[in-house]
Amino acid sequence: MTLNSPLKRLTFTGKGGDLFSVLIVNWLLTLITLGLYYPWAKARRLQYYYEHTELDRHPFHFHGTGQEMFKGFIKALGIILGVYGLFFAAMHFGYPVIGLLVFVGAFAGLVPLIIHGSYRYRMSRSSWRGIHFGYRGDLKELYRICVKGVLLTMVTFGIYGSWFQMNLRNYVLCHVRYGSSRFQYKGEGGQYFVMNLVGYLLTVITLGIYGAWWMRDRFAYYVDNLSWEFEGGSRIQFRSTANGGDIFLLALTNILLLVFTLGLAYAWVEVRVLNFVMANIAFVGDADLDKVVQTESENKNAMADDLGDLLDIGIFI
Amino acid sequence: MSTPVEAVFYDGVTSRPRSASVSVEPPETLVVDIPGEGREEPLRIRWPLEHKGMTWERTATTLRLAFGEHPRRVVLVRDPQFIRAFVLRMRYAGRQGLYDRSLQLVRRGPVLFLLGILAVLVAAYIWLLPWTAERLALVLPVSLDRKLGDTMYDALAPQLAVDSTRSVALQAFGDHLRLAPSHEVRYHVVDDDQINAFAMPGGHIVVFTGLLDRMTKPEELAALLAHEATHVEKRHSTRSVVRSLSGSVFLALLVGDVSGVVAVAARQADALRELGYSRALETEADTLGIHALSDNGVDPRGMVQLLELLQADAHDMPEAAKFLSSHPLTTERIATAQQVIGRVGDGKAEGPELRPLFEVLTRK
Repeated sequence: MTLNSPLKRLTFTGKGGDLFSVLIVNWLLTLITLGLYYPWAKARRLQYYYEHTELDRHPFHFHGTGQEMFKGFIKALGIILGVYGLFFAAMHFGYPVIGLLVFVGAFAGLVPLIIHGSYRYRMSRSSWRGIHFGYRGDLKELYRICVKGVLLTMVTFGIYGSWFQMNLRNYVLCHVRYGSSRFQYKGEGGQYFVMNLVGYLLTVITLGIYGAWWMRDRFAYYVDNLSWEFEGGSRIQFRSTANGGDIFLLALTNILLLVFTLGLAYAWVEVRVLNFVMANIAFVGDADLDKVVQTESENKNAMADDLGDLLDIGIFI
Repeated sequence: MSTPVEAVFYDGVTSRPRSASVSVEPPETLVVDIPGEGREEPLRIRWPLEHKGMTWERTATTLRLAFGEHPRRVVLVRDPQFIRAFVLRMRYAGRQGLYDRSLQLVRRGPVLFLLGILAVLVAAYIWLLPWTAERLALVLPVSLDRKLGDTMYDALAPQLAVDSTRSVALQAFGDHLRLAPSHEVRYHVVDDDQINAFAMPGGHIVVFTGLLDRMTKPEELAALLAHEATHVEKRHSTRSVVRSLSGSVFLALLVGDVSGVVAVAARQADALRELGYSRALETEADTLGIHALSDNGVDPRGMVQLLELLQADAHDMPEAAKFLSSHPLTTERIATAQQVIGRVGDGKAEGPELRPLFEVLTRK
């Protein structure tokens, strides 16, 4: 293994057959335990992805365990049952409007909490070269952004949504840390809005074919605005090298693979996608990756992560 | 002592990786040597293999050892021989978990393994599941059938034009025969042109006038009642429900996580299986109905006549298709019925007491 190589790049080293084995064992154990194994299966799967993602030939590591996730799962289930209980109680005693408000309000109100908690958990349980990631965002601030965002998005019939998304992403990603270094994201609602508008219109006009190029733009918008800042002022800028033709080809072949194997090729498709994503994130700039110091403490509370899972909310923005 | 192999060491304090070498020394102690570099002192970790403060995980190519509390010190080894020997030691020490073992097994031939599992599951689905479902249905008390049937009938009754006079006559007719001994059967005549009759769990048997008015012989009616009463007596509804439920649960568990195409295909296959089952139940109702006719001293050929009546009407009455859809093809049923009659014997001639009751019932 070469150490301290100057070439900084991400690689995915997973193999389809290998991931397939992990998924089969997960599926089988989940089946045998009538679904109770699910949190462990989720942890194993995440561990597989992290362990096979390498930066500079050093793998990432996911520290989360099935046990933690199971505890989180039970708590999350309790919250959901509580909300349902309140809803049905209100219905039963003849206050359907209040019941509905509680129901919608509770689930909408939980979203910032889910984002906050999930980031705290996932980041704390991720490490590279023995140094843990972390999330230091403030929950109150996140609520402020969300309430403002939702209200303005409603008033502007959805147009403000782009600004809302960028505010959220800027806030969250700027509070992600890797030990003593931190990340920065600088997205602008206006640019994001125009990019999506153009992408959407061209995709409709070209009967979906432009979708691959729209995807390229969204991926690039995510990657190109992200940077990694180190103590002492050095920084690494991320750059997308993905091009639309490749995305188009990848998506097409993946769909064919899935259709002709009745979905059994899922693991191979997943590996192809991850290979593509990792290979198309380049690092520009120079920084000493050896100088980062451990700063973050552990957070083993997976409740928010599981809650997002149960409510099927995509939390990683 | 094993030959030291190359490894990478992360101290958990800074992100700087250091090269290291690992080996196992007797008595079962892991030794990690980290040479000094620049200002950093050389470091040596000695750790008993069975000590729980060291955890290990591996992928296809990498062994990851972590020591102590957060922030943990970590050693990565990529030497295949060392990894193999290490995993073996861990197995003997009882520290190779079930997960690592299963994964090791599955990795040898994941696709083959999956096919094996699928074969076992299909076998369980074909043989074990029906057997379990039948057992389960038998455990459910007969009183449940009755409650279920009453609820169903009460829900349906407002939409049915029940002819109470003819229902009383049908009840008299039915009571003359000994059908469904473990249930109290209640007969209802419904004013409806459809050529149809059905049984609900627990003992409600409904006959539509469309079918009743086409009958010319009491044996035909006796055959119909014997057929429907077999559904009641053998608890076909309850058994179907349990079977269908168990099939759905089994499938949901199985394909809950798999892609849409597989799930849809599986559900279609399950629907076909249920159709096959409902046909098997119809055949059973025909067969046991013939036995019941014979036991009651009624000419069992009434069953064949009833089926012929249905077949004749299937041509000019489109509604009949509904009645037949879940039933085996009528021609086949007639052939089967004739075989059964051949075994049971023609039975005795028509019981004299049925004719007058039948005439009361069919008088317009």
